[in-house]
Amino acid sequence: MNQRVSTDGSSLAVLLDATSRGDRPAFRALYEATAPKLFAIVLRITRSRPMAEEVLQETFIKIWQNAERYMPESGQPMAWLAAIARNRAIDRLRSEKIERNRADDDQILERLVAPAAGDPAMRQALGTCLKALDEESRDCVILAYCSGFSREELAERFGRPVGTIKTLLHRSIKQLRACLESE
Amino acid sequence: MSEERDLDAAEYVLGTLPADERARFSERLKSDAALRQDVRAWEARLAPLDETATPVAPPPDVWRAIERATAVGSTAVPEAAGTNVIALRRRVAFWRGSTAVAGLLAAGLAVVAVVDRLSLPPVAAGGRYVAVVDSGGHEPALIAEVDTTTGTIRVRSLTAETPSGRSLELWHVPEGQAPRSLGILKAGLDAQTINDAASAGPVDGLIAVSVEPEGGSPSGAPTGPIVYTGRLIPVE
Repeated sequence: MNQRVSTDGSSLAVLLDATSRGDRPAFRALYEATAPKLFAIVLRITRSRPMAEEVLQETFIKIWQNAERYMPESGQPMAWLAAIARNRAIDRLRSEKIERNRADDDQILERLVAPAAGDPAMRQALGTCLKALDEESRDCVILAYCSGFSREELAERFGRPVGTIKTLLHRSIKQLRACLESE
Repeated sequence: MSEERDLDAAEYVLGTLPADERARFSERLKSDAALRQDVRAWEARLAPLDETATPVAPPPDVWRAIERATAVGSTAVPEAAGTNVIALRRRVAFWRGSTAVAGLLAAGLAVVAVVDRLSLPPVAAGGRYVAVVDSGGHEPALIAEVDTTTGTIRVRSLTAETPSGRSLELWHVPEGQAPRSLGILKAGLDAQTINDAASAGPVDGLIAVSVEPEGGSPSGAPTGPIVYTGRLIPVE
Protein backbone atom coordinates (compact mmCIF):
# COMPACT_ATOMS: atom_id res chain seq x y z
CA MET A 1 0.00 0.00 0.00
CA ASN A 2 1.47 3.30 -0.99
CA GLN A 3 -0.74 6.00 0.36
CA ARG A 4 0.22 9.49 -0.55
CA VAL A 5 0.36 11.58 2.54
CA SER A 6 1.49 15.14 2.64
CA THR A 7 3.87 16.07 5.41
CA ASP A 8 1.87 19.08 6.50
CA GLY A 9 1.14 19.21 10.18
CA SER A 10 -2.57 18.47 10.15
CA SER A 11 -2.42 15.18 8.24
CA LEU A 12 0.56 13.99 10.31
CA ALA A 13 -1.37 14.81 13.48
CA VAL A 14 -4.29 12.70 12.21
CA LEU A 15 -1.94 9.80 11.46
CA LEU A 16 -0.31 10.09 14.89
CA ASP A 17 -3.71 10.07 16.54
CA ALA A 18 -4.76 6.94 14.61
CA THR A 19 -1.39 5.30 15.38
CA SER A 20 -1.94 5.90 19.08
CA ARG A 21 -5.12 3.82 18.78
CA GLY A 22 -3.15 0.93 17.24
CA ASP A 23 -4.14 1.63 13.62
CA ARG A 24 -1.40 -0.16 11.67
CA PRO A 25 -2.21 1.22 8.18
CA ALA A 26 -2.00 4.71 9.68
CA PHE A 27 1.35 3.82 11.26
CA ARG A 28 2.56 2.55 7.90
CA ALA A 29 1.39 5.74 6.20
CA LEU A 30 3.12 7.80 8.88
CA TYR A 31 6.32 5.87 8.18
CA GLU A 32 6.01 6.36 4.41
CA ALA A 33 5.43 10.07 4.90
CA THR A 34 8.19 10.82 7.39
CA ALA A 35 10.87 8.08 7.32
CA PRO A 36 12.90 9.53 4.40
CA LYS A 37 13.19 12.89 6.16
CA LEU A 38 13.95 11.36 9.55
CA PHE A 39 16.49 9.00 7.96
CA ALA A 40 18.23 11.98 6.35
CA ILE A 41 18.35 13.84 9.67
CA VAL A 42 19.76 10.80 11.47
CA LEU A 43 22.25 10.01 8.68
CA ARG A 44 23.59 13.54 8.88
CA ILE A 45 24.20 13.10 12.62
CA THR A 46 25.53 9.53 12.75
CA ARG A 47 27.31 9.49 9.38
CA SER A 48 26.91 5.73 9.44
CA ARG A 49 24.22 3.95 7.46
CA PRO A 50 24.03 0.89 9.74
CA MET A 51 23.70 3.07 12.83
CA ALA A 52 21.21 5.38 11.12
CA GLU A 53 19.09 2.35 10.15
CA GLU A 54 19.07 1.12 13.75
CA VAL A 55 18.22 4.56 15.07
CA LEU A 56 15.37 4.90 12.55
CA GLN A 57 14.03 1.50 13.56
CA GLU A 58 14.17 2.41 17.26
CA THR A 59 12.59 5.78 16.56
CA PHE A 60 9.54 4.20 14.95
CA ILE A 61 9.19 1.57 17.67
CA LYS A 62 9.13 4.46 20.12
CA ILE A 63 6.61 6.36 18.01
CA TRP A 64 4.35 3.28 17.93
CA GLN A 65 4.55 2.97 21.72
CA ASN A 66 4.30 6.68 22.56
CA ALA A 67 2.09 8.14 19.83
CA GLU A 68 -0.59 8.98 22.41
CA ARG A 69 1.87 11.34 24.08
CA TYR A 70 1.78 13.65 21.09
CA MET A 71 -0.33 16.70 21.94
CA PRO A 72 -0.98 19.69 19.69
CA GLU A 73 0.80 21.82 22.29
CA SER A 74 3.87 19.60 21.76
CA GLY A 75 4.41 21.66 18.61
CA GLN A 76 4.44 20.62 14.96
CA PRO A 77 4.15 16.82 14.52
CA MET A 78 7.26 16.75 12.31
CA ALA A 79 9.30 18.62 14.95
CA TRP A 80 8.08 16.14 17.59
CA LEU A 81 9.05 13.16 15.41
CA ALA A 82 12.40 14.69 14.49
CA ALA A 83 13.19 15.35 18.15
CA ILE A 84 12.68 11.64 18.97
CA ALA A 85 14.99 10.65 16.10
CA ARG A 86 17.67 13.26 16.90
CA ASN A 87 17.68 12.41 20.61
CA ARG A 88 18.11 8.74 19.89
CA ALA A 89 20.94 9.42 17.41
CA ILE A 90 22.78 11.71 19.85
CA ASP A 91 22.28 9.29 22.76
CA ARG A 92 23.91 6.60 20.65
CA LEU A 93 26.85 8.80 19.64
CA ARG A 94 27.49 10.06 23.16
CA SER A 95 27.14 6.75 24.98
CA GLU A 96 29.33 4.86 22.52
CA LYS A 97 31.85 7.70 22.13
CA ILE A 98 31.89 7.17 18.40
CA GLU A 99 34.77 8.75 16.50
CA ARG A 100 33.37 9.94 13.24
CA ASN A 101 35.03 11.12 10.13
CA ARG A 102 34.17 14.68 9.45
CA ALA A 103 32.08 15.53 6.46
CA ASP A 104 30.67 18.99 6.42
CA ASP A 105 27.76 20.51 4.69
CA ASP A 106 28.27 24.18 3.98
CA GLN A 107 24.95 24.48 2.21
CA ILE A 108 22.79 24.31 5.32
CA LEU A 109 22.41 28.05 5.80
CA GLU A 110 21.70 28.58 2.08
CA ARG A 111 19.01 25.93 2.17
CA LEU A 112 17.42 27.59 5.16
CA VAL A 113 16.72 30.59 2.95
CA ALA A 114 15.51 28.52 -0.01
CA PRO A 115 11.78 27.83 -0.21
CA ALA A 116 10.81 24.52 1.40
CA ALA A 117 8.09 22.94 3.51
CA GLY A 118 7.40 24.13 7.02
CA ASP A 119 6.65 27.52 8.46
CA PRO A 120 8.35 30.10 6.19
CA ALA A 121 8.26 32.84 8.84
CA MET A 122 10.03 30.69 11.42
CA ARG A 123 12.56 29.52 8.88
CA GLN A 124 13.32 33.02 7.78
CA ALA A 125 13.63 34.25 11.35
CA LEU A 126 16.08 31.48 12.22
CA GLY A 127 18.08 32.20 9.08
CA THR A 128 18.29 35.89 9.93
CA CYS A 129 19.25 35.24 13.56
CA LEU A 130 21.88 32.62 12.66
CA LYS A 131 23.43 35.08 10.23
CA ALA A 132 23.57 37.68 12.99
CA LEU A 133 25.93 35.40 14.97
CA ASP A 134 29.65 35.64 14.27
CA GLU A 135 30.82 33.00 11.83
CA GLU A 136 32.44 30.66 14.34
CA SER A 137 29.42 30.70 16.65
CA ARG A 138 27.09 30.05 13.75
CA ASP A 139 29.20 27.13 12.55
CA CYS A 140 29.24 25.67 16.07
CA VAL A 141 25.45 25.81 16.39
CA ILE A 142 24.88 24.30 12.93
CA LEU A 143 27.52 21.59 13.28
CA ALA A 144 26.12 20.63 16.70
CA TYR A 145 22.47 20.52 15.69
CA CYS A 146 22.76 19.14 12.15
CA SER A 147 25.92 17.04 12.32
CA GLY A 148 25.91 15.90 15.94
CA PHE A 149 29.24 17.52 16.89
CA SER A 150 30.07 17.25 20.61
CA ARG A 151 31.82 20.07 22.50
CA GLU A 152 35.08 18.10 22.13
CA GLU A 153 34.63 17.70 18.39
CA LEU A 154 33.88 21.40 18.04
CA ALA A 155 36.95 22.22 20.17
CA GLU A 156 39.14 20.10 17.91
CA ARG A 157 37.61 21.52 14.79
CA PHE A 158 38.14 25.15 15.79
CA GLY A 159 41.40 24.61 17.69
CA ARG A 160 40.02 25.96 20.96
CA PRO A 161 39.75 24.63 24.51
CA VAL A 162 36.50 22.79 25.35
CA GLY A 163 35.69 25.44 27.97
CA THR A 164 35.84 28.18 25.35
CA ILE A 165 33.45 26.24 23.13
CA LYS A 166 31.02 25.90 26.02
CA THR A 167 31.16 29.67 26.64
CA LEU A 168 30.71 30.35 22.95
CA LEU A 169 27.70 28.00 22.75
CA HIS A 170 26.09 29.65 25.77
CA ARG A 171 26.62 33.10 24.31
CA SER A 172 25.18 31.96 20.96
CA ILE A 173 22.14 30.42 22.66
CA LYS A 174 21.35 33.65 24.53
CA GLN A 175 21.87 35.75 21.42
CA LEU A 176 19.71 33.44 19.28
CA ARG A 177 16.89 33.47 21.81
CA ALA A 178 16.92 37.23 22.11
CA CYS A 179 16.99 37.63 18.32
CA LEU A 180 14.18 35.10 17.70
CA GLU A 181 11.98 36.71 20.35
CA SER A 182 12.35 40.09 18.70
CA GLU A 183 11.81 38.81 15.15
CA MET B 1 12.57 30.73 33.40
CA SER B 2 16.01 30.54 34.94
CA GLU B 3 18.93 31.27 32.66
CA GLU B 4 20.80 28.13 33.71
CA ARG B 5 17.86 25.84 32.99
CA ASP B 6 17.25 27.37 29.60
CA LEU B 7 20.92 27.01 28.62
CA ASP B 8 20.75 23.33 29.60
CA ALA B 9 17.54 22.91 27.59
CA ALA B 10 19.12 24.54 24.53
CA GLU B 11 22.29 22.45 24.82
CA TYR B 12 20.21 19.31 25.27
CA VAL B 13 18.43 20.08 21.99
CA LEU B 14 21.70 21.01 20.26
CA GLY B 15 23.12 17.71 21.55
CA THR B 16 26.23 19.28 23.10
CA LEU B 17 25.71 18.31 26.75
CA PRO B 18 28.43 15.83 27.82
CA ALA B 19 27.14 12.23 28.16
CA ASP B 20 26.73 12.25 31.97
CA GLU B 21 25.03 15.66 32.03
CA ARG B 22 22.80 14.57 29.18
CA ALA B 23 21.72 11.45 31.07
CA ARG B 24 20.97 13.51 34.20
CA PHE B 25 19.04 16.04 32.15
CA SER B 26 16.89 13.30 30.52
CA GLU B 27 16.11 12.04 34.01
CA ARG B 28 15.06 15.53 35.17
CA LEU B 29 12.83 15.93 32.12
CA LYS B 30 10.64 13.04 33.23
CA SER B 31 9.41 14.86 36.31
CA ASP B 32 9.77 18.52 35.33
CA ALA B 33 7.01 19.80 33.06
CA ALA B 34 8.42 23.35 32.94
CA LEU B 35 11.76 22.01 31.72
CA ARG B 36 9.99 19.96 29.05
CA GLN B 37 8.37 23.22 27.98
CA ASP B 38 11.81 24.87 27.64
CA VAL B 39 13.05 21.91 25.56
CA ARG B 40 9.99 22.05 23.33
CA ALA B 41 10.53 25.76 22.74
CA TRP B 42 14.12 25.11 21.60
CA GLU B 43 13.03 22.20 19.42
CA ALA B 44 10.55 24.52 17.72
CA ARG B 45 13.13 27.31 17.30
CA LEU B 46 15.70 25.02 15.67
CA ALA B 47 13.31 22.71 13.76
CA PRO B 48 13.69 24.68 10.50
CA LEU B 49 17.26 23.33 10.34
CA ASP B 50 15.78 19.82 9.92
CA GLU B 51 14.18 21.00 6.68
CA THR B 52 17.64 21.43 5.20
CA ALA B 53 18.20 17.65 5.19
CA THR B 54 17.43 16.15 1.77
CA PRO B 55 15.18 13.08 2.24
CA VAL B 56 16.84 9.67 1.76
CA ALA B 57 14.71 6.54 1.29
CA PRO B 58 15.60 4.01 3.99
CA PRO B 59 16.14 0.38 2.85
CA PRO B 60 13.01 -1.84 3.06
CA ASP B 61 14.62 -3.92 5.86
CA VAL B 62 14.02 -1.06 8.26
CA TRP B 63 10.25 -1.16 7.89
CA ARG B 64 10.22 -4.95 8.13
CA ALA B 65 12.16 -4.78 11.39
CA ILE B 66 9.79 -2.13 12.76
CA GLU B 67 6.78 -4.20 11.74
CA ARG B 68 8.14 -7.26 13.52
CA ALA B 69 9.09 -5.41 16.66
CA THR B 70 5.76 -3.63 16.97
CA ALA B 71 3.78 -6.80 16.19
CA VAL B 72 5.05 -8.46 19.38
CA GLY B 73 2.26 -8.57 21.93
CA SER B 74 -0.40 -7.69 19.38
CA THR B 75 -2.78 -10.01 17.56
CA ALA B 76 -0.42 -10.10 14.59
CA VAL B 77 2.10 -12.23 16.46
CA PRO B 78 0.92 -15.84 16.06
CA GLU B 79 0.53 -15.48 12.32
CA ALA B 80 3.80 -13.64 11.81
CA ALA B 81 5.76 -15.97 14.07
CA GLY B 82 4.23 -19.01 12.36
CA THR B 83 5.20 -17.76 8.93
CA ASN B 84 8.71 -17.09 10.12
CA VAL B 85 9.05 -20.57 11.59
CA ILE B 86 7.93 -22.11 8.31
CA ALA B 87 10.36 -19.94 6.37
CA LEU B 88 13.14 -20.93 8.75
CA ARG B 89 12.32 -24.64 8.41
CA ARG B 90 12.41 -24.32 4.64
CA ARG B 91 15.79 -22.68 4.86
CA VAL B 92 17.10 -25.34 7.21
CA ALA B 93 15.89 -28.04 4.80
CA PHE B 94 17.50 -26.25 1.88
CA TRP B 95 20.71 -25.74 3.76
CA ARG B 96 20.93 -29.37 4.79
CA GLY B 97 20.16 -30.47 1.25
CA SER B 98 22.84 -28.28 -0.26
CA THR B 99 25.41 -29.44 2.32
CA ALA B 100 24.67 -33.01 1.34
CA VAL B 101 25.09 -32.23 -2.34
CA ALA B 102 28.32 -30.36 -1.71
CA GLY B 103 29.60 -33.30 0.30
CA LEU B 104 28.66 -35.67 -2.51
CA LEU B 105 30.53 -33.65 -5.10
CA ALA B 106 33.58 -33.17 -2.92
CA ALA B 107 34.05 -36.70 -1.71
CA GLY B 108 32.29 -38.73 -4.39
CA LEU B 109 30.06 -40.37 -1.81
CA ALA B 110 27.38 -42.87 -2.77
CA VAL B 111 23.74 -41.87 -2.95
CA VAL B 112 23.09 -44.00 0.14
CA ALA B 113 25.42 -41.75 2.10
CA VAL B 114 23.42 -38.70 1.00
CA VAL B 115 20.24 -40.27 2.32
CA ASP B 116 22.07 -41.01 5.58
CA ARG B 117 23.15 -37.43 5.85
CA LEU B 118 19.62 -36.18 5.37
CA SER B 119 18.50 -38.10 8.43
CA LEU B 120 21.20 -36.58 10.62
CA PRO B 121 20.07 -34.32 13.47
CA PRO B 122 19.45 -30.72 12.40
CA VAL B 123 22.57 -28.79 11.59
CA ALA B 124 22.94 -25.21 12.66
CA ALA B 125 21.20 -23.00 10.17
CA GLY B 126 22.45 -19.48 9.73
CA GLY B 127 19.69 -17.32 11.04
CA ARG B 128 18.61 -14.44 13.17
CA TYR B 129 16.28 -14.22 16.08
CA VAL B 130 14.97 -11.14 17.77
CA ALA B 131 13.38 -10.54 21.17
CA VAL B 132 11.73 -7.29 22.19
CA VAL B 133 12.25 -7.33 25.93
CA ASP B 134 9.86 -5.40 28.18
CA SER B 135 8.35 -5.36 31.64
CA GLY B 136 4.96 -6.49 30.42
CA GLY B 137 4.01 -2.85 29.95
CA HIS B 138 4.13 -1.23 26.55
CA GLU B 139 7.55 0.44 26.68
CA PRO B 140 10.23 -1.91 25.32
CA ALA B 141 13.33 -1.93 27.55
CA LEU B 142 15.72 -3.47 25.07
CA ILE B 143 15.98 -5.36 21.82
CA ALA B 144 18.11 -8.51 21.68
CA GLU B 145 19.14 -9.89 18.30
CA VAL B 146 20.75 -13.31 18.07
CA ASP B 147 22.88 -14.02 15.02
CA THR B 148 23.41 -17.78 14.89
CA THR B 149 25.93 -17.58 12.06
CA THR B 150 28.38 -15.68 14.25
CA GLY B 151 27.15 -16.85 17.67
CA THR B 152 26.66 -13.29 18.83
CA ILE B 153 23.88 -11.47 20.61
CA ARG B 154 23.49 -7.78 19.99
CA VAL B 155 21.64 -5.97 22.74
CA ARG B 156 20.29 -2.51 22.24
CA SER B 157 19.06 -0.76 25.32
CA LEU B 158 16.08 1.53 24.83
CA THR B 159 14.79 2.31 28.31
CA ALA B 160 16.46 -0.33 30.52
CA GLU B 161 17.70 1.32 33.70
CA THR B 162 20.27 -0.09 36.08
CA PRO B 163 19.37 0.60 39.75
CA SER B 164 22.32 2.17 41.53
CA GLY B 165 24.62 -0.29 43.28
CA ARG B 166 23.11 -3.23 41.32
CA SER B 167 23.72 -4.89 37.98
CA LEU B 168 21.28 -5.96 35.30
CA GLU B 169 22.05 -9.49 34.15
CA LEU B 170 20.90 -10.88 30.81
CA TRP B 171 19.63 -14.47 30.61
CA HIS B 172 18.61 -16.89 27.91
CA VAL B 173 15.84 -19.20 29.06
CA PRO B 174 15.57 -21.98 26.44
CA GLU B 175 12.15 -23.69 26.24
CA GLY B 176 11.78 -25.95 29.29
CA GLN B 177 15.31 -25.33 30.58
CA ALA B 178 17.04 -23.38 33.33
CA PRO B 179 18.16 -19.78 32.67
CA ARG B 180 21.67 -19.42 31.31
CA SER B 181 23.58 -16.22 31.99
CA LEU B 182 24.61 -14.18 28.95
CA GLY B 183 26.44 -11.55 30.98
CA ILE B 184 25.94 -8.17 32.55
CA LEU B 185 24.24 -5.29 30.74
CA LYS B 186 26.77 -2.50 30.90
CA ALA B 187 25.09 0.51 32.51
CA GLY B 188 24.76 3.57 30.33
CA LEU B 189 25.75 1.77 27.14
CA ASP B 190 23.14 1.89 24.42
CA ALA B 191 24.37 -1.08 22.42
CA GLN B 192 26.66 -3.99 23.18
CA THR B 193 27.53 -7.26 21.47
CA ILE B 194 27.89 -10.47 23.46
CA ASN B 195 29.76 -13.49 22.12
CA ASP B 196 27.83 -16.61 22.99
CA ALA B 197 28.97 -19.91 21.50
CA ALA B 198 25.70 -21.59 22.53
CA SER B 199 23.84 -19.23 20.22
CA ALA B 200 25.58 -20.64 17.14
CA GLY B 201 22.48 -22.67 16.32
CA PRO B 202 18.70 -22.40 16.41
CA VAL B 203 17.52 -20.87 19.70
CA ASP B 204 14.13 -20.64 21.33
CA GLY B 205 12.55 -19.53 24.57
CA LEU B 206 12.94 -16.19 26.29
CA ILE B 207 15.48 -13.47 26.86
CA ALA B 208 15.15 -12.17 30.42
CA VAL B 209 16.79 -9.51 32.56
CA SER B 210 17.15 -9.76 36.35
CA VAL B 211 18.38 -7.32 38.98
CA GLU B 212 21.48 -8.75 40.67
CA PRO B 213 24.12 -7.64 43.15
CA GLU B 214 26.81 -5.52 41.50
CA GLY B 215 28.90 -7.71 39.19
CA GLY B 216 26.17 -10.29 38.63
CA SER B 217 24.50 -13.27 40.22
CA PRO B 218 26.86 -15.05 42.64
CA SER B 219 25.12 -18.40 42.12
CA GLY B 220 24.93 -18.64 38.34
CA ALA B 221 21.13 -18.52 38.50
CA PRO B 222 18.97 -15.40 38.74
CA THR B 223 18.71 -14.30 42.39
CA GLY B 224 16.92 -10.95 42.04
CA PRO B 225 13.60 -10.07 40.47
CA ILE B 226 13.18 -10.68 36.74
CA VAL B 227 12.32 -7.21 35.51
CA TYR B 228 12.07 -7.69 31.76
CA THR B 229 11.31 -10.62 29.44
CA GLY B 230 10.81 -11.10 25.72
CA ARG B 231 10.22 -14.12 23.49
CA LEU B 232 12.78 -14.97 20.80
CA ILE B 233 11.26 -14.95 17.35
CA PRO B 234 13.05 -16.17 14.21
CA VAL B 235 13.37 -13.49 11.55
CA GLU B 236 14.02 -13.27 7.79
